[in-house]
Amino acid sequence: MEEWRFEPAHDFGLSAEQRRLSLRREVGLESAISCFLWRSITRLYLAIAHRLRIRGRENLPTHPPFVLVANHASHLDAIILGGILPLRFVGAVFPIAAGDTFFTKRASSIFATAFMNALPIWRKSCGAHLLEDLRERLLKGSSVYILFPEGTRTRTGAMATFKPGLGRLVAGTSVPIVPCYLNGTFAALPASGTVPRWTKICVTIGKPLSFSETTNDRASWELIAAATENAVRVLENG
Amino acid sequence: MDPIARERLFGFRHAFDSPVTFWITIAVIAALLIASVIIWYLHARGRTSDKLHDELVKRVVSWAVMTPLLLGPVLLGAAWTILAVAILSVLCYREFARATGFFRYRSLSIVVVLGIIATTFAIADHWYGFFVAIPPLTIVLLAMVAILRDEPRGYTQRVGLGVIGFLLFGYCLGHLGYMANDADFRPIVMLIILTVELNDVFAYIAGKTFGHRKITPHTSPNKTLGGAIGALVLTTTLVSTVGHFVFAGSGVDTPVKLIGLGLIVSVAGQFGDLMVSSIKRDIGIKDMGASIPGHGGLLDRFDSMLLVAPAVFHYIAFFRGFGLDQPTRIFTGGC
Repeated sequence: MEEWRFEPAHDFGLSAEQRRLSLRREVGLESAISCFLWRSITRLYLAIAHRLRIRGRENLPTHPPFVLVANHASHLDAIILGGILPLRFVGAVFPIAAGDTFFTKRASSIFATAFMNALPIWRKSCGAHLLEDLRERLLKGSSVYILFPEGTRTRTGAMATFKPGLGRLVAGTSVPIVPCYLNGTFAALPASGTVPRWTKICVTIGKPLSFSETTNDRASWELIAAATENAVRVLENG
Repeated sequence: MDPIARERLFGFRHAFDSPVTFWITIAVIAALLIASVIIWYLHARGRTSDKLHDELVKRVVSWAVMTPLLLGPVLLGAAWTILAVAILSVLCYREFARATGFFRYRSLSIVVVLGIIATTFAIADHWYGFFVAIPPLTIVLLAMVAILRDEPRGYTQRVGLGVIGFLLFGYCLGHLGYMANDADFRPIVMLIILTVELNDVFAYIAGKTFGHRKITPHTSPNKTLGGAIGALVLTTTLVSTVGHFVFAGSGVDTPVKLIGLGLIVSVAGQFGDLMVSSIKRDIGIKDMGASIPGHGGLLDRFDSMLLVAPAVFHYIAFFRGFGLDQPTRIFTGGC
């Protein structure tokens, strides 16, 4: 008789605080429920307050893994991208959030993990091994990342260049990048604002980009970042 | 709601109706204070190293947090006792699911949690018929939901882990909650919690003092014959002595039956401990989690209760019964 195979949670044995910061965090029933509730509420809000329009929904892959990428103008961005994904992905969707903004205070770190299911990335000291952990997790096959490769919210409304860290996650793999363009989030809630204005928002989802032909080195990472940035700019103008 | 039921569920004024409840509460608080003083004294005199001292402090602080969480609900009323047991069940199941990887089968996990919620409802309602119906119904649901993945490979393991998870952490522990349906539940529940926890302590102390022969080197290398026998003797003595006051005048109150009760607490307690050790060895992990500083996971602390609760419940139910004079089906009505 074959033995039973056990695979403990990858973040097993960590304290609650360590779990929140861990890139290996796996979602249990409790966070799946809280994320589900949060999503339902925010979807309703986006539909009513911002008359959210989604174009190109057919471009979304049907299975994880993939990386959803967009221009970054507002705190609403991650909520919107999380909201356009089908409900069955709840618990598999991880916005990659700035550690120094969301994970330094206890309350905001609990919120970011329990309701947004965010994974922290540290902008000041983003060690190579952290990106490597994220890449490994993506390759295991059950995660969807939401990522803003500009690295920060735009202060002027114009999109900045994409950082090559994005390429590092997918170079040489078959994991697709899905480029999106968010229109109207800068007007609704810019970095300088605190209360959202109820203005229209429109998301355009582009065709998935595959970089399985590339090698895993710096030149390819920059190429991937540039190609993705270009795809988002095309969506912006088109 | 029936006034008798309301008094039992929420009547915190009755907390110390039984002198045994009062004395157990006093004894536990005193024990915690004395332990703290001893630990402080030993460190002040340089008898314990800084490392050992930190470890001991961590444990006492954990106990100081856990004690009110355990005794508080029992003193407050049956509703809180049942709720506390339900929360403990869910948290123990969660550790088990995360340790085995069962939590990844989310729909099955939902079935187990629904089973625990249904168990809690049956207990709170004092509806024994439904309480008995829940395990088979949960198994039916698990077997059906597990098919929906259309993935026969691993089917037996998926259903098996769900059944084990529900029966051990939802249903076995649930028997502790069911005892709260008795008019006189406070001293009974307290006696069991106290002696099950002390059984562990007795085994540890006796094992350190005159334990040589290892009984289960592969399962838990620290368990010795001396520790097991020491715990058996001490726990049985304690249970039958205090039990004489708890069960005064009832069918359990004869020397032989009280000693039997003590033996059940001690034997089932030690086997519960070994059972969780076996599960951990099988999976290949050391602790079931990190939720209680100095102890490991919740399951590392409450492992002994898992097998004691149903064994003691049915032993007492056989000779004395639980809540026979109490109104049944409080919320659902009917009979």
